[in-house]
Amino acid sequence: MNMLAAAIAVGLGALGAGIGNGLIVNGTVNGIARQPELRGTLQTTMFIGVALVEALPIIAVVIAFMAM
Amino acid sequence: MKDYTYMMSRQLKWLFYLVAVFVLGYGFTDYQPFFAGMILGAGISTFNLWLLQVKINRIGQGVVDRDEKKRTLGMLTRFATAALAAVIALQYPGIFDMIAVIIGLMTPYLVIIIDYFFHHTELTTRKRGE
Repeated sequence: MNMLAAAIAVGLGALGAGIGNGLIVNGTVNGIARQPELRGTLQTTMFIGVALVEALPIIAVVIAFMAM
Repeated sequence: MKDYTYMMSRQLKWLFYLVAVFVLGYGFTDYQPFFAGMILGAGISTFNLWLLQVKINRIGQGVVDRDEKKRTLGMLTRFATAALAAVIALQYPGIFDMIAVIIGLMTPYLVIIIDYFFHHTELTTRKRGE
């Protein structure tokens, strides 16, 4: 049962992070393709977004290993 | 483009400073398991942060160059390194404090947010494309 709980925790966390990252990267790639001169600003925004989105799944991975 | 490279080096610099403070804490205080956990977590998350910065830079360069090659953000690698930190902390509970490892893993996010609040006016008050 603990393994199932760990798998669900990591899986749902990764699912949310995957969707969030996909949306962020989609917007940034579109923006850079339209205006390459804004690459630095857009990359900075994308970096902060991706980093904050991935914080929760990383905690989920750690908690899953603790629950196992 | 300079914004991003400056931000990369700034954040890594502050994280290395923090790891150095944790090493001093490990060496000179009695809370050795706590600081060992902080060193483990912060060290691994420094690698994660560097990996994310490099991957995002590569994606941006690929878009500018119109490169068709498929690129990833390296999310699985970062999850795997976080799992490695958790496994090490669970395997050696006397050496590494688990709570400290989790706090250490979350250190870069604090650095990112503080760095953003200090420097976001530079990004927002200039003309577009400057």
